[in-house]
Amino acid sequence: MSKDNSTQRLSRRRFLKVGGGLIGAAAAATVLPKALLRPTKVVEASPAAQITEPNLHFVATDGWVHLPPPEVPPYHPDDMAPVNPAGLTTYIFGFRDLTGVADQQLFTQKMKAQLTSPTFWIDEGTDFTLKLTNLGLQIRPDLIDAHTLHFHGFRNAIPIFDGEPHSSVGVPIARDLTYFYRPHEPGTYMYHCHFEETEHVHMGMVGVVFVRPAADTPSQRYAYNDPATAFDREFVMCMNEVWSLAHWCDSHVQLPEWSDYAPDFWLLNGRAYPDTIEPPGGGTDLATGELIPPAGRPDLKYQPISSLVQVNSGDRVLLRFVNLGYVEQSMRLPGVPLRVVGRDATLLRGRSGNDLSYYTDTIIIGPGESVDAIFVAPDVTSETRLLLANRNYARLSNGGAPGYGGQMTEVRIFPAGTLPPQTEPNT
Amino acid sequence: MQSEVRLMRSKKSVKMARLLAGPLVLVLVAAILGGNIGIVTAAHTDWPASGMICTSNDTASFSLVTMEGTINMPDGNTIYMWGFSEAGQPFQHPSPVLCVNEGDTVTIVLHNTLPKDVSIVFPGQNNVLANSVPSQPVFSAIGNLTSLAPVAAANGGSMTYSFVAEKPGTYLYYSGTEAVKQVNMGLFGALVVRPAAHPDWAYNETVAGEFGETYTTQFEPTTEYVMMLSEIDPNLHMAVEQGLPYNMNNYRSRYWLINGRSFPDTIAPNGAEWLPNQPYSSLVHIHPYNDDPTSPAYNPYPALVRFLSVGSEDYPHHPHGNHGRIIARDGNVLVGEGGEDLSYEKFTVVVGPGETHDELFAWTDVEQWDPVTNPIPVEIPQLQNLVFGTFYSGSPYLGNLDTLPVGHQALNQCGEYYHIAHNHSLQQITAWGVVLSGHITFTRIDPPLPNDCP
Repeated sequence: MSKDNSTQRLSRRRFLKVGGGLIGAAAAATVLPKALLRPTKVVEASPAAQITEPNLHFVATDGWVHLPPPEVPPYHPDDMAPVNPAGLTTYIFGFRDLTGVADQQLFTQKMKAQLTSPTFWIDEGTDFTLKLTNLGLQIRPDLIDAHTLHFHGFRNAIPIFDGEPHSSVGVPIARDLTYFYRPHEPGTYMYHCHFEETEHVHMGMVGVVFVRPAADTPSQRYAYNDPATAFDREFVMCMNEVWSLAHWCDSHVQLPEWSDYAPDFWLLNGRAYPDTIEPPGGGTDLATGELIPPAGRPDLKYQPISSLVQVNSGDRVLLRFVNLGYVEQSMRLPGVPLRVVGRDATLLRGRSGNDLSYYTDTIIIGPGESVDAIFVAPDVTSETRLLLANRNYARLSNGGAPGYGGQMTEVRIFPAGTLPPQTEPNT
Repeated sequence: MQSEVRLMRSKKSVKMARLLAGPLVLVLVAAILGGNIGIVTAAHTDWPASGMICTSNDTASFSLVTMEGTINMPDGNTIYMWGFSEAGQPFQHPSPVLCVNEGDTVTIVLHNTLPKDVSIVFPGQNNVLANSVPSQPVFSAIGNLTSLAPVAAANGGSMTYSFVAEKPGTYLYYSGTEAVKQVNMGLFGALVVRPAAHPDWAYNETVAGEFGETYTTQFEPTTEYVMMLSEIDPNLHMAVEQGLPYNMNNYRSRYWLINGRSFPDTIAPNGAEWLPNQPYSSLVHIHPYNDDPTSPAYNPYPALVRFLSVGSEDYPHHPHGNHGRIIARDGNVLVGEGGEDLSYEKFTVVVGPGETHDELFAWTDVEQWDPVTNPIPVEIPQLQNLVFGTFYSGSPYLGNLDTLPVGHQALNQCGEYYHIAHNHSLQQITAWGVVLSGHITFTRIDPPLPNDCP
């Protein structure tokens, strides 16, 4: 029944079978009885066309980011923040994309996580692999936490690739796991760590993944396989919050009472206004693995995703909203109707072939939801600015202070033909 | 064990709580998975381990008595509660799931034993009568609103409510008197109205598909579930128990419950004897979708999950594994006036205060991974390079068991899959400081029939 071709590189079964020498004998003393006691129905796997080079290589670790003033003593800025680069205030957990960085360089990026995590995208029907390496937590060596990557919303998921550690496995420190996806349904999804999720998600292990539809081409973008979802430019709006007390607790070996949840910083793509409109970072230096900070903002080195929406008149603009915070949000772009074409990675179309999309001024989005909304940039003769902001005005504050902050960004509309075609989301 | 968990406050301790949850879960899951009928209370030996437990009878007449009692939280706390129970039955939380048929004249006689006036409102039902006159809000002699419906007076009063269940669907019933306090205290339950002609359909309506196909709301009757979402402010409950006033501006929920239980109790079986007053399980237990009538694994109908909320804010409930199709809200089937389909798929079901959402849920083994003929195309690291979950079988393949590390608490029985289903306001999957509790349950997907599962 069992063949010597397990999916595990060297399963205990194989290890014992091939005679593991001295170590094997020692291991057998503890392993064998348990293995024999299990009600085993083991059909070991055939050698597959194994994928050895993943499409993406992510790492999970801790790090530091910059959030604006005012001070929220003693939690913000965190007194344990590194001094270089200047301006880091807040301890986080997060992911980084180190695809193409040499393996021996990976651990130089420990304590260099980013907020929010890298946006990535997959083509419908195309196999995709993501390798996750756990670098550990520099500030909390006492936490031997595993990490996972939960692809939130992936249809008909099997547990091993779902990243929920109770139903499958987690990735311990200095180890890796390759997740495999064969996406059949386009749309806007999200991903996050699911290990000790209340803490790890709040600490910032959140990002956006979307699946491009089969109809999509580089010259004509679609959100779904429906002509009504054509667009010219796309912007991810990944929303979450920071409860500075909880982040401070993590760096100071403390624990918050989660039912007291009271966030004081409200973020778009990991930044609070006015940082949201700063330019994107310059990517990763593949030789060193270091992030290249946005021009003029070394303190935003670990918050590389800009929320600035720059479009030409007449552009069809897709906003991919994702909420990975813990409270519902209410986003508005006053004066410009938003057409909601998808929710939770599902085209708004009934099974009778009927259109279920709708126009709204307000995107109500709960934790764990996604919304795809398209607007047409109005005609302008000179650069025109609109504000995309949370209508819950209390969330346009940084740290409870007066003035504007929080979940707000600008939509800058230029006369037709001003901007070249978009090459990547959020640029 | 509960007192051990109760002490968890430090970071390290809460991590330990996860570990300690293992043995606790072991007991619970062993009971579920093992079909261990012997430990279910004698009165409930006819109950299936999972699935909706209906309280019903031929006359659709129910005698409900208000009771006080206590429920257990997984951190070891005990919470003082109020509830409706069927006459002669002990206190239970939540109150019984009343199941009736479309067209039934439903009669509910409320007997009130509590020291406060209590009433019942039936949102979604039309022309409700209270002692044979229309049930309406009650005002005092000087015009102050005192109750949303006529009351059964404190300390022994009665009131008879009746209505015709005109419309199939999922509804709430709960106290309409001092509701802000009494609903939180537990005076709520679910009311299910089944279509008269199609008991295994959620609704009568059908939808014409764009390719000439027809969609119904038919579901697999053995996989029908209620997810009653609620929350508790323990300080409010303590004040009520001690007869003290409580300033509702100080309200703050600390516990979040599904069917009156906080995880891991949510996945314990219906009628678990160690939860004597919290009878309802929230485990969803299904088989893979299969539309081949010649197959022994034929399983063409989805599960029906009826979400209800009596909470104070929107709960974003996220079942892993697949989208569900929302077919109705508040007992209103999502079919347009022209017969067009208004249902939709969601991966997060946001259930607001007082709402009900009905969801059809199925899981399909799309890729048909097989260890011999169709192995997954990536390598799974060897044992010492991973950490393993309690519900994992040791194998990524459905229906397959493989080696797990020494000492691992393995609850998987037959290579079945598990997916978590939880509130994505993640501060609400806790129990007053203990993480991995609250609004969490699991979906168990067994291998296709025939299988080796007990």
